[in-house]
Amino acid sequence: MKQERSFRKVLLALAVGCAFSTAAIAAVTDQDISDDAKTTADVVSYGMGLQGQRFSPLDKLNADTVKNLTPAFVLSYGDEKQRGQEAQPLVHNGKIFVTASYSRVFAADAKTGEEIWQYDHRLPEGIMPCCDVVNRGGALYDNLFIFSTLDAQLVALDQDTGKVVWKEKMEDFKAGYSNTAAPIVVKGMVITGVSGGEFGVVGKVEARDAKTGKLIWSRPTVEGHMGTLDGKDNGITGETNKSWPGDLWKTGGAATWLGGTYDAETDSLFFGTGNPSPWNSHLRPGDNLYSSSVLAINPADGKIKWHYQWTPHDGWDFDGVNEFVSFDLKKDDGTVVKAGGHADRNGFFYVLDRTNGKLINATPFVNKITWAKGIDLKTGRPEYDDTNRPGAPGSAEKGTSVFSAPSFLGGKNWMPMAYNPGTDLFYVPANEWGMDIWNEPISYKKGAAYLGAGFTIKPLNDDYIGALRAMDPKTGKIVWEAKNKAPLWGGVLTTAGNLVFTGTPEGYLKAFDAKTGAELWKFQTGSGVVGCPVTWEQDGEQFVAVPSGWGGAVPLWGGEVAKSVKNLNQGGSLWVFKLPKTTS
Amino acid sequence: MLNYGGWLVGCLLCQVAVAAEPDPLNSPQWEAMHTRFLNGEPYTFDSKVKVEAPPEAEDSLNVPIALRVTDLPDIQEMRVFADLNPLPHVLNFRPKTVPPNLAFRMKLQQGSPVRVAVKTADGMWHVGGTYVEAAGGGCTLPSVGTSSGDWSKTLGQVSANVWQRPDNNRLRIRVMHPMDTGLASGIPTFHIENLNVKDAQGTLLAELDLYEPISENPMLSLDVGKITTFTLEGRDNNGNKIAAEVAP
Repeated sequence: MKQERSFRKVLLALAVGCAFSTAAIAAVTDQDISDDAKTTADVVSYGMGLQGQRFSPLDKLNADTVKNLTPAFVLSYGDEKQRGQEAQPLVHNGKIFVTASYSRVFAADAKTGEEIWQYDHRLPEGIMPCCDVVNRGGALYDNLFIFSTLDAQLVALDQDTGKVVWKEKMEDFKAGYSNTAAPIVVKGMVITGVSGGEFGVVGKVEARDAKTGKLIWSRPTVEGHMGTLDGKDNGITGETNKSWPGDLWKTGGAATWLGGTYDAETDSLFFGTGNPSPWNSHLRPGDNLYSSSVLAINPADGKIKWHYQWTPHDGWDFDGVNEFVSFDLKKDDGTVVKAGGHADRNGFFYVLDRTNGKLINATPFVNKITWAKGIDLKTGRPEYDDTNRPGAPGSAEKGTSVFSAPSFLGGKNWMPMAYNPGTDLFYVPANEWGMDIWNEPISYKKGAAYLGAGFTIKPLNDDYIGALRAMDPKTGKIVWEAKNKAPLWGGVLTTAGNLVFTGTPEGYLKAFDAKTGAELWKFQTGSGVVGCPVTWEQDGEQFVAVPSGWGGAVPLWGGEVAKSVKNLNQGGSLWVFKLPKTTS
Repeated sequence: MLNYGGWLVGCLLCQVAVAAEPDPLNSPQWEAMHTRFLNGEPYTFDSKVKVEAPPEAEDSLNVPIALRVTDLPDIQEMRVFADLNPLPHVLNFRPKTVPPNLAFRMKLQQGSPVRVAVKTADGMWHVGGTYVEAAGGGCTLPSVGTSSGDWSKTLGQVSANVWQRPDNNRLRIRVMHPMDTGLASGIPTFHIENLNVKDAQGTLLAELDLYEPISENPMLSLDVGKITTFTLEGRDNNGNKIAAEVAP
């Protein structure tokens, strides 16, 4: 008996030893994630670095050599489940990982495209994603690939086998919760938000142990709700009823549906929050904190350090989730400010001091804005044009309709912009469109749409909707633009090779000169490109990858715009290109 | 020296066994099954290992199978497979302290041998089996739960009963799960991966690995000695957990 026990101990020790030795080769560490923006051999985080700049220091591929960029492989997602492919791929240890519509994940050899495994999450009937069955990407940590699903679960897969290691329920999908954003990993914690702002959910940001899925803290984004830390109450968000009337805060929305970024210099998580619920703003007088805002959150305990509200008392579904990208604002007097850039759906491009949330500058990045005359740089608040807020329905079926620009699909929607520290410019995938919008009476019912508004989206110009725009954060001015007939809906990548990449619904992945905006290269992928391009270097060659597959919110919600894109065909594949050694 | 000789003779015998023994069910897939599920290791067709099943499947989605092993000591693992199923691997069963008897229901795509291979501590696989005729289609149909859309409401729910008997109590477990094979168009593979049966003190009685061919809402029956109270723990390939307590 005694002998048997000691033998078991030896076996156990051997097993542990093995686990460590394999982990040492492949495991993604916190250091790997912190260094992601600098290291060129992998892409281990959403945003290509937790600050979310989507900048690569690689320059073999540049304005001169990009003409030689050639396809390396295409990986088909197969199946009938095509729909929008909005993901950003990740690359590590010779493997490329990409999520796809309907909560699927593919892992393939990053050089050959040969599939290694595929995970198809089993979705229940009755999921309620508002805006197509997309997924925007995963997070790598240790030997795990972690992603969230349309039925509001967080799933960690083994990077080598695709087998489930742990799974946690984030929320009840029957109440309207879902999840499409890519998680991020900060200090060993996987940080996530939730979707469901059209169903009267309450937004929150949560941190879990990335290796086990165990909840560490939870921070609701609507004032009045209690946060938790290690299973204990950790203070109410804001002050109950300070900016919400009656009970409306209980179903207040502010969904954190696009995830967030992290800045190590200020040790802050930056999570954007969505629209207040319902859309009809007359039901909820007040600023409705912390809807349509950015929150700076302490990763240690989930407490809010500061907030900035892009659209107080949002009545247009301008939302506020768009990414907040940390960067060094190099002023003309030689000083450098720790700043953050943000292109909001409401049409303004904001620069904030990321140490305290103070507004530095806000200027339009679209040509027409009706809801506000500008943003007051002293108070940090919008100068509303009250005639352009849709009217209260009162006892009528419908309140006064107004024509508002931008439309609720936004001057820029979810698709992430990029910042190039070489050119000091932000590259913003913008759209020019407006909407007729009116309010309707509404009351909350669990699991039902909670809008209280109707709308029709309309293009503002005959010849284009999309415009990739280079914004100078110092001046707030548009430096160059590249127009596109269909609305832009894909992410942006920029590189030290003076390049900017983005995709178009017409099916092209395009490369532009980062300084001039001149189009240098394009490739037809066979379906609309609404995913996020990435680049890395492997065995001396530079690769570029982007998902292809038309879909997302535009064909579902686009009104007259949807008509103009209805002939675009769906797809589902990962395209990978490379600059062959001989031509670099 | 004597020991050495004994080892040599034993090994020679088993080599002979591997090469010579013909498959009593005369399956074209036997050698492939031997390689895949028995790792190419020594085996014998053994009448102590029995698979009881109807000669013809009335319902290809629910073919009742019973495994019965008598007088085999030191059982390490039991593997059940159906040679001609598109997904041949049915289950693994590791009885720890309970008898090596198990009954369940499975899906058959066409007529096929259904076998159990029992590995004893000496490394030998003891194989038993029977041929079940089937009209077909059991593996490529969507589960009833999936077709009706109801599966998510009952997923992982356990119902169980213990029948007290003089020799061996009988434990029957049913776990609600669609057990989708991944072969029906547009429906991903979704099945219970493992299930552990423990007594009330937490002692492991048996381990089960389940695969796609196990019928929807798996029904498992085990002989459990005198024990009357159990806990069940398991999960599926999506990480959904199964946990239940069973009392008489």
